[in-house]
Amino acid sequence: MTNTPSHDEIVLLARQAGLDLPPEYLSELIEAYRNVRRMIDRIPTGRPRGDEPAHVFVPATFMPSGE
Amino acid sequence: MTDLAFLSITEAARLIATRQLSPVELTEAYLTRIEALDHLLDSFVTLTAERARAEAKAAEATIMASGPISRMHGIPYCLKDIYETAGIRTTAMSKLLADNVPTRDSFCQEKLVAAGGVLLGKNATWEFAHGGPSWDILFPPARNPWNRAYSPAGSSSGSATAVAAGFAPATLGSDTGGSIRGPAAACGISGLKPTYGLVSRRGVIPNCFSHDHAGPLAWTSEDLAILMQIISGHDPEDPGSANVPVPDFTAALTGDVKGIVIGVPVSWLEEDDPPKPATKAGFDAALEVFRGLGCSVRPVKLPPLRQFDDAKKTIAVAELFTIHAKDLRSRPEMFGASLRYRIIAGGLVRAEEYINAMRMRTDLARAMQGVMETVDVVMLPTSEPAGKLEPVPPSSLFTRSSFTTPFNVGGNPALSVCCGFAENGMPFSLQIAGQLFDDATVLRVGDAYEKATPWRNQRPFLAVTETA
Repeated sequence: MTNTPSHDEIVLLARQAGLDLPPEYLSELIEAYRNVRRMIDRIPTGRPRGDEPAHVFVPATFMPSGE
Repeated sequence: MTDLAFLSITEAARLIATRQLSPVELTEAYLTRIEALDHLLDSFVTLTAERARAEAKAAEATIMASGPISRMHGIPYCLKDIYETAGIRTTAMSKLLADNVPTRDSFCQEKLVAAGGVLLGKNATWEFAHGGPSWDILFPPARNPWNRAYSPAGSSSGSATAVAAGFAPATLGSDTGGSIRGPAAACGISGLKPTYGLVSRRGVIPNCFSHDHAGPLAWTSEDLAILMQIISGHDPEDPGSANVPVPDFTAALTGDVKGIVIGVPVSWLEEDDPPKPATKAGFDAALEVFRGLGCSVRPVKLPPLRQFDDAKKTIAVAELFTIHAKDLRSRPEMFGASLRYRIIAGGLVRAEEYINAMRMRTDLARAMQGVMETVDVVMLPTSEPAGKLEPVPPSSLFTRSSFTTPFNVGGNPALSVCCGFAENGMPFSLQIAGQLFDDATVLRVGDAYEKATPWRNQRPFLAVTETA
């Protein structure tokens, strides 16, 4: 994905997300996604294979109360 | 006796416990004021007057027979309209939930009922606690009681407005990026985002579950301590709930802050997002108060502000889309334009991007805790004083940085207190953030500041003769 995704790229992504939007909402989505894309592009990637997973399952969370 | 509507919880609880004040009388004072003035502020979306009268009467009977069961016994309060209340409409200000009547109370509401509180009603919020201010949703936005042309910020806007206006001494809000602290700051009251996991979110309609916090707003930090005592505690039904001992928050308010080490994130204030000169002057004056109380102040270095916003907002947009995907796909017109803009692009965020944002969040949270280990609290302004209540470009969510979001990312407790007033009369705010699960120290520091300064003596003025 490029830093400034094209109209057609965003329409394709929207369809893949199940969003079949009327034109007025599609233009909204395109502007919003370009803003989101700028944030995503600033997030570091290429982390080591053994990097700690982002989500850690903590079984204790699901133990019955009082245990 | 002073005007009942402006009693703090602490003052009202003392008067009730000594039989000098009746919960019925106190409840009627608030209901009368709300009915006379809330058309100017739109802070309530649902008023539960008859229920409040019944609860107040029952509280009075119990207190007369055997004394109060808690410091909230017989005290009126209200709830942001995302807290589910059995038998009472809970809308999140959304057309999608216009007729939503839950069958079960949220965890916090259960606690407040058990403590003998008196529910006055439900407060205005931004739609689903995220998009706003909006004029195309179920109810109009709340207004700032210090100046009705100004914004009370969001999203716990009606909650903060109600407390500042003297419509209730206590309320609960939620904070995902600053939604308790921002409105508390804008309305000149106190608001605490507790440590993540300390207060259950069960029954609170979610914004972004990885960053959502439930917490209290009140006129003083002392009152927040009373509320925290009631609503804190482990809840197995909230997967994020922490099973940790609940401290005695009120006992922690010793008034003594001598020796407290205050960290100031200088790079945020000088490079990342410098506050306006008057806001900075108000903050510097607050630091001087703390030096006078025996605290020391030192600079601390935290990661750039933008990194916190990038991680949190990328995660948030994806989680929000997931929560609302069915409605966004099938009936997007039911959302207000502001909220729709802010969440619809979340459907285009790929799993890899969401996970990388979560990894970045972990790095940032670790960095935050590393700095917090070197100080007792971190201080900075909560926000600039409130601006005019007017439509805001929804894109601003993605482009502006925030002094509050980093403590959602870290999960740290963060309090906003009033630290003076701007030339136009709008409140300045001071944010006090602390170490994880050391909410008691944060409240102690806030309480000491409020008692050392005159800002709690000033209330907004609302004339009954005003028209909307």
